[in-house]
Amino acid sequence: MKATVGEAIPDWSLDRVSPERMRTAAAIFRDPNPIHWDPEFARERGLEGGRVVNQTPLNVAYVVNMLIAWAGSTCIRRLRLEFPAPVFDEDRVVAGGRVKTVSNERGIELAECDVWLDRDDGTRAVAGVALVALPESGPSDVAR
Amino acid sequence: MISKAEMQALVGHTFPGGSCEIEHWENFLLTEATGSEPLPDDLVHPIHLFHVPIAGVGTSIAELFSLAQADSDASVTIDYYDWEFATPLREGVRYSVTGGVTEHERKLVENGPTVDSLTFRIELFEEAGEFAARATFRWHFWRFER
Repeated sequence: MKATVGEAIPDWSLDRVSPERMRTAAAIFRDPNPIHWDPEFARERGLEGGRVVNQTPLNVAYVVNMLIAWAGSTCIRRLRLEFPAPVFDEDRVVAGGRVKTVSNERGIELAECDVWLDRDDGTRAVAGVALVALPESGPSDVAR
Repeated sequence: MISKAEMQALVGHTFPGGSCEIEHWENFLLTEATGSEPLPDDLVHPIHLFHVPIAGVGTSIAELFSLAQADSDASVTIDYYDWEFATPLREGVRYSVTGGVTEHERKLVENGPTVDSLTFRIELFEEAGEFAARATFRWHFWRFER
């Protein structure tokens, strides 16, 4: 698999951020923050409709899923991400990216990529840089 | 409110350390929660580099909140994550885990809250001692009381 500077990574989208999945994640993370699983708490905090806030690692995971769909399950070497805005339940999100540089390190092709996650209203929720190892052929598996 | 000196004293704090093993059920459920199909060959979804290092090093999110004397569970926000993988993580592999607090910064917002930012760094090693992965993350602890 070859990448070129400026190449767009195919988008990965999730049509509905699900509060049920947030609860699963909260239990596995042992995350005590009720903003992720208690609509009443979210309402008291001024979040319209009691919409709960998606866990940041799940937002990271959508970016990961985009990269895996592009370059395979073992492609990720490094991710450095910031989080300018939250994602809420019922949001539609789209992960995207673009190749910044391509290099070769001990025979492995590496692509440094700008990556992001946008809410459907255009708000950027995740922004950062990923270092991706490119497989010799295309990805052997796909994260849908 | 906890003093700046008390927060600064957390730099250099090391967690007990320990080991961890990611089980199939956990990988399956959390991967599904990301909207992805399970990965092949016992590969662990990289999202596990959020909570596995925290648990493996012998602490928890709640304990990290407590360590920094967070005002409440909802008063903590995330600045950044920096995840490095020397090798993909896999189910059923035991990793040894070490880490601690590496940096602190306090900022005062005029007529607003104080924010303490703590950086944590936790590393995973394979049984033979080979470096496997590193999670570096900075959390903001917002203080609304003067």
